[in-house]
Amino acid sequence: MAKELPGYGTIDVPKDRVVPFGAVTPAPVCQQDLFQTSNWRIVRPVKDDEKCTRCLICYLSCPDACWVYKEEEDVMEWVNNFCKGCQICIQECPSGALTAVPELDFPDGVARLDKPF
Amino acid sequence: MAKAKMLTGCRAAAEGAKAAEVEVICSYPIRPYTAIMMELAKMVANGELNAEFVHGEGEHAQLSVVLGACAAGARAYTGSSGVGVTYAMELYSPMAGGRYPVQMTIADRTLDPPGDFGSEHTDAMCTRDNGWLLGWACSPQEVYDNTLIAYRVGEDHRVMLPQMVCQDGYFISHIPDKVTLGEMSQVKEFLPPYRPIGPLSLTHPVSHGPQIRPDQGAPMDAMRAQTFLAVPKVIEEATADFNRIFGRNYDPFVEQYKLADAEIAFFIMGAHSNTCRTAVDRLRKQGVKAGMARLRWVRPWPTHQLATALGHVKAIGVVETSTSYGGAMRGGNLIHELRASLYDLDERPLVTSFMGGLGGETIWPADFDNMAKVLTQAVKEKKVRNYVQWLGM
Amino acid sequence: MAKVHEITVWARGVIMDKEGRDVINIFAQAAQMEGKFAQAFDNYEDLPDRVLVTVRKYVRLSDEEIEHKYVYTNDKPEVVVITEATIVKGIDILRGMEKGGTLIINTNRSIDDMLKLIPNANLLGTVATVDADAITGVRTVDFSGSEGGVDTSGIGKGIASPMTGAIAKVTGMIKKENLAKIVSDVSGMERGYNEVKIKKLG
Repeated sequence: MAKELPGYGTIDVPKDRVVPFGAVTPAPVCQQDLFQTSNWRIVRPVKDDEKCTRCLICYLSCPDACWVYKEEEDVMEWVNNFCKGCQICIQECPSGALTAVPELDFPDGVARLDKPF
Repeated sequence: MAKAKMLTGCRAAAEGAKAAEVEVICSYPIRPYTAIMMELAKMVANGELNAEFVHGEGEHAQLSVVLGACAAGARAYTGSSGVGVTYAMELYSPMAGGRYPVQMTIADRTLDPPGDFGSEHTDAMCTRDNGWLLGWACSPQEVYDNTLIAYRVGEDHRVMLPQMVCQDGYFISHIPDKVTLGEMSQVKEFLPPYRPIGPLSLTHPVSHGPQIRPDQGAPMDAMRAQTFLAVPKVIEEATADFNRIFGRNYDPFVEQYKLADAEIAFFIMGAHSNTCRTAVDRLRKQGVKAGMARLRWVRPWPTHQLATALGHVKAIGVVETSTSYGGAMRGGNLIHELRASLYDLDERPLVTSFMGGLGGETIWPADFDNMAKVLTQAVKEKKVRNYVQWLGM
Repeated sequence: MAKVHEITVWARGVIMDKEGRDVINIFAQAAQMEGKFAQAFDNYEDLPDRVLVTVRKYVRLSDEEIEHKYVYTNDKPEVVVITEATIVKGIDILRGMEKGGTLIINTNRSIDDMLKLIPNANLLGTVATVDADAITGVRTVDFSGSEGGVDTSGIGKGIASPMTGAIAKVTGMIKKENLAKIVSDVSGMERGYNEVKIKKLG
């Protein structure tokens, strides 16, 4: 028998760098908070409830499901955290209820994420 | 002599293919190699390069298209990254077994997961046992040069094998560096036109890729293995010619940096060797006799050259940028073959390995300092404690 | 080793990716003309093929050859350039900055309005704004460079020219005369140089 054989070593992944098992992340039941995209936005859609007919075209056309119909209050609700400001809803709205307003005009909606995306 | 330009590895690969006057190109996009095809597409569109540009519907199709093109007698070129490389897996053995000297350019990317677009050598290393010539560049200049050298070696009638010219994604493929492109006269002198053996032809009909009988299998394998015995000499000739014609200074197989009197050495390939060189310089200033051996070809593996170059070193740290889960050393791939190459020496160097640059991470100068500490300790204790250390883990 | 100065440029994917890259390439070339050593590169982790996503571009300057080529983030930017003003709401743009840094924003809004949106503005020594979009109104789009190839659409045709003019005036790290030899839109660059508004902070 030879001298003592080398070992396979130990591996200690630092706590702050541990990745979920098999890279499986919690599924978004409603919103995937691990992937906010509000900081992609230059303008945000602002709605005029007087003009809005609740036709749900915005709901259908939004690629990121950022328009939600609130049945109890009978209003459309905008999802700040995920709207990328792509303006498709503004283009598609048949009643002209949506307008693009520069994001910088609003004090709210600050994301200031650690990562660019 | 032409003036050096600042080019990315992607552009350098495209310039290499253009200089080689490739005749058929097949593309399919995947980061980070995409720009190689974007640049070639522009060259074809601008009339700078007279080539057939085919859009494959996937990497398997890419390899199939260039196989056919090569069988018909064209100099063919394709490429990929990461999972694109592995998607084409079926084609690697037939390409080499059928002796089609196509070239595939690889900008490394991790496989899934993590699937980020960071560089890791695992993608191309997966293909290493399929009979291709396989080598890594450490700069955009070397990408350009290897493109020409690989075609010359692969198309040599003593060889006739496909070649994989690899570069680290992002580090080489995306960061511009000085590249001196060859003059057309130099390229013409170095790289003769492709002369196929038994191409598809209307006047002399041949069948490519027929089914063979089981009793033909063993001789077929043996003949493929036999070819690899002839490859090193061809690489040596081609590299010497390249150095003479283009005024470069490549060692055919192993770049030896401050290795002659080294006590500890890093064994590495690809982009991180650039950081390694500066680390060796700094360690030398601190009185540590460090050196570096950089592998240029994984296939054919330069067994004797490595035993000669590294035999006198006391401890070697293999810097692995690929994974071999559950392998003999539980780390990467290179250490297995390096240890095997040194086995028959009377006095064997101590060999351990370091897993670094995985998922596209940078290997920092300080990492090399830490590796040097492990190696110095091994020299002192006359043994390595572990086969593998995972940097930062 | 000589000090390495870090400059980070923030832009947005696709619509301004080329402009952000132009800023770093022009900056690096101008610095090299003064005999400085420079590195300029895109952040590879960002996703430049996503429209509007925030992307980073970096320059590093030094009086000596920069030893390490593969450090691909600027952890301590001295100068931060924002090519699209809304980015200040979405990202902690001053992260890593040491006290006394410089911020240059492409906007037509007032400096004080912008400062209200930056909670860690106390890190800043200098803040400046330039209305680059009003000066040229051009944002060139070219994807070759984003993927590691060569941009074929020229350098400094759009808002990068006034931005770099403003950077030259505010930082003094590069010279206007050298910029004029690099950018396509020289008058835009000059206007950026002349029209930038600068405020020194405590």
